[in-house]
Amino acid sequence: MRHFGMAVIFVGMQLQFAWAAPEPWDGPAAKLAEQVAGIMGPGQVRLAVENRSTIAAGDVSAIRGLLEQDLKAHGITVSGAESANILQVTLSENARERLWVAEVVQGNETQVAMVTLPAVPATRTAHAGGVALLSETVLVTDKPVLGMIESGSGLVALEPEQIVYFLRWPNGWTPSAHSAIVQQRPMVRDPRGVLESVSGGFAAWLPGETCTGQTDSVAGAGSLIAQCAGSDDPWSIAEIGPVVTGGAQLKAFYNARRNFFTGVVTPSVGVELPPFYSAALVPRAVGGAALLVGGTDGKVQLVENNALRPVSGTRDWGSDFVSMTTGCGLGAQVIASSSGAAATDSLRAYELPALEAIPASAPLAMDGPVMAMWVGSDNKSVYVTVQRSADQYEVDRVTASCN
Amino acid sequence: MLRRAAISCGVLLALLTAAPHVFGRTRPSYGGTLHVEIAGDPWQHGTGIARRMVMDGLTDFDAAGMLQSALAVNWKSDNNNHRWQFQLRPGVVFQDGTPLSAANVVAALNADCDGHCPWTAVRAVASSVVFTGEAAMPNLPALLASDEFLIALTVKPDGSTPGGNIGTGPFRLTGFTNGVLQLGANENCWRGRPFVDAVEIRVHRAVRDQWLDLSVGRADVVEIPPEMLRQALQQRLNVVAVQEAQLLELHADGTGALANPMLRGAIANAVDRAALADVIFQKQAEATASLLPENVSGYAFLFPTGRNMDEAHRIRGGLNAPPLLLSSDGGAAMQLAAQRIALNLKEAGFNVQTTAAASRHADLELHALPMESRNPADLLVLLIRASGEAAPQELSFASITGLYKTERDFLASHSVIPLLDLPRAYATGPRVRELKLGVDGAPDIAEASLEDAP
Repeated sequence: MRHFGMAVIFVGMQLQFAWAAPEPWDGPAAKLAEQVAGIMGPGQVRLAVENRSTIAAGDVSAIRGLLEQDLKAHGITVSGAESANILQVTLSENARERLWVAEVVQGNETQVAMVTLPAVPATRTAHAGGVALLSETVLVTDKPVLGMIESGSGLVALEPEQIVYFLRWPNGWTPSAHSAIVQQRPMVRDPRGVLESVSGGFAAWLPGETCTGQTDSVAGAGSLIAQCAGSDDPWSIAEIGPVVTGGAQLKAFYNARRNFFTGVVTPSVGVELPPFYSAALVPRAVGGAALLVGGTDGKVQLVENNALRPVSGTRDWGSDFVSMTTGCGLGAQVIASSSGAAATDSLRAYELPALEAIPASAPLAMDGPVMAMWVGSDNKSVYVTVQRSADQYEVDRVTASCN
Repeated sequence: MLRRAAISCGVLLALLTAAPHVFGRTRPSYGGTLHVEIAGDPWQHGTGIARRMVMDGLTDFDAAGMLQSALAVNWKSDNNNHRWQFQLRPGVVFQDGTPLSAANVVAALNADCDGHCPWTAVRAVASSVVFTGEAAMPNLPALLASDEFLIALTVKPDGSTPGGNIGTGPFRLTGFTNGVLQLGANENCWRGRPFVDAVEIRVHRAVRDQWLDLSVGRADVVEIPPEMLRQALQQRLNVVAVQEAQLLELHADGTGALANPMLRGAIANAVDRAALADVIFQKQAEATASLLPENVSGYAFLFPTGRNMDEAHRIRGGLNAPPLLLSSDGGAAMQLAAQRIALNLKEAGFNVQTTAAASRHADLELHALPMESRNPADLLVLLIRASGEAAPQELSFASITGLYKTERDFLASHSVIPLLDLPRAYATGPRVRELKLGVDGAPDIAEASLEDAP
């Protein structure tokens, strides 16, 4: 198992190298050379290049070569120590972008030219073991995505203050249309929501608000129409699907001024539930499904045969979990985020043959804390919103394969 | 660069906790009372911890230091940035139930800057606030996000004056007894109710006493001054920190004894920044000669930070300066820094007396300015205003080169002499879950929650 994990990490590193290799240095080198030529005109210059950035040391000589070539095209020859003109090029960067700075020293006068380059896109690694969890990034957004479904030819994403319709373009998923959600009451600090497909469109639940809508309507391809209204209706608990016998939807009332469900569900499950963050229906070996509930007190309990029983082995769980059909092991696993005590956030698959959660996979490290999790419409994948940085989120699709 | 790397290693642990997204996440729970201790005044402009807990601005900076809407939902400029119109967020109420209106925003803004406003006039127009200025105000939305322009209720609907600070922020003032400021959760905060029910801030508490209280569970959040950051890490305190949160700058009054820019230039060259960083601030600060830190501009290295006594003597030439008074705000480290600077200047031929308190008559003032934004143009304008200087008339922020030239030309007068980028840090107790800091190191208490909340 250990060997498998190491092998996957190695593959991840290979991917990182593969992503980092094709840096487009030609354009900025040409622009900087043009600016330098504008300052000093044709002549000779002593060139020095310093790298203060995260550009690999091996690339610096290539950049120097490009600069020399582009300067020559403007009539500037890079010479040895005999030239009185000095060109000091510094490869720098800030938190948002790369910055190349040229200091042109002619006598006592120094003039500066600069060009900016986009920062290298963040890369991520994933590793898995046991029931192997694999992750791929679907979307990168600046607001947390609380739920997402496939609709028409695109993706509908629910954010705290808008619904966005994404269409796939050659450069990835791109917003095509959006509909603002005007909140009827103050927002909550830990926003949550549910989005699901319904006949003819989609339905969304937010604290104190419900929305319905459709995509690619009469307004044309790529269009989005949504109507929202204040409502305290119970939310559909997302992962109801083929595991449920009878097909009834289980709904739960949400505390619109907090970040948890009140414990009141409909239809009744035959026992009084505590306030909870997450709930998932877990198929049982004898048939049917049991309701797994993650309480706001940190306890994870299973509702089975009209009784609420504690589940052991969940100490490392965070507040979010879903049930996913993988076909591996017992056929379905619970995918849980890790607790705040963990060094990094991660996902892990567990099986619940009885009242103990048994790890079924190695932890799958995420790029940041898990903000929301929901199961895909095929019930064979899980979508996870991860906060990469203060103002950047990614939606990852997590799938499982059997070992 | 190597020094920066060393510092980064030194506070790596702290910065790991400062990055809000490293640890796994258990959803925050509601309830409980958070106990905070501070050495200073909770209402002090710039760094007072209670100000942003109680009040909001028309605009705000998000956790990444970028501008976002707050009490204003949108804004637009006309007449080449001489006129700005800010549309207020509907449905917002002050903590006493008074609805937020354009009229009370205008009254609050006039009280905030008391005649030293960046605009010429501000007036209420229906549910929007309109600013006009004789000079262009290209960065007004960012200025309005600063601590200086928070909105407090100045007149109640019945015409009476409120007894204390009443804002629209996540906490409301409930009392002040025995040196403890008491704040309660604002259930109707437009941004959402904070997670804790109440916050108690013990003020004017010595840092050593704060740490003792933290160790015995009497405090949940305590301060770590930059010069004690290394010690806090050695003691394995749970540290949250932002490395480049404040700019330590020396402000030279250009109207008195230092009216001659050559004298100010000599002072700028005579200050030993490396010694300040290494000795006074225990290698937890970064020497800088630019306003914008390297991770914001990328070009800070163009401003040399080294001490240059030859240049100081050359620039000063035969000019004589009368005895100078140097004042400093802040704690003991700031006073030590002021004394160290006085020694540096003495070696350059200046006679400098230091004073602990801010003085109206000081020729030189040592300040730590909060760096509230990570947008280069916004931060540059904020720092220039915070330093007390007028923003340059010709601002050229369209390109990075224009930004550099604006900063270079402003610093060429040597009225503001950047010295160090300082970290700002706090230590948290075991009850505290996820204390996040803004880019200026200000704690976001409204986002904190407690492990043992009921």
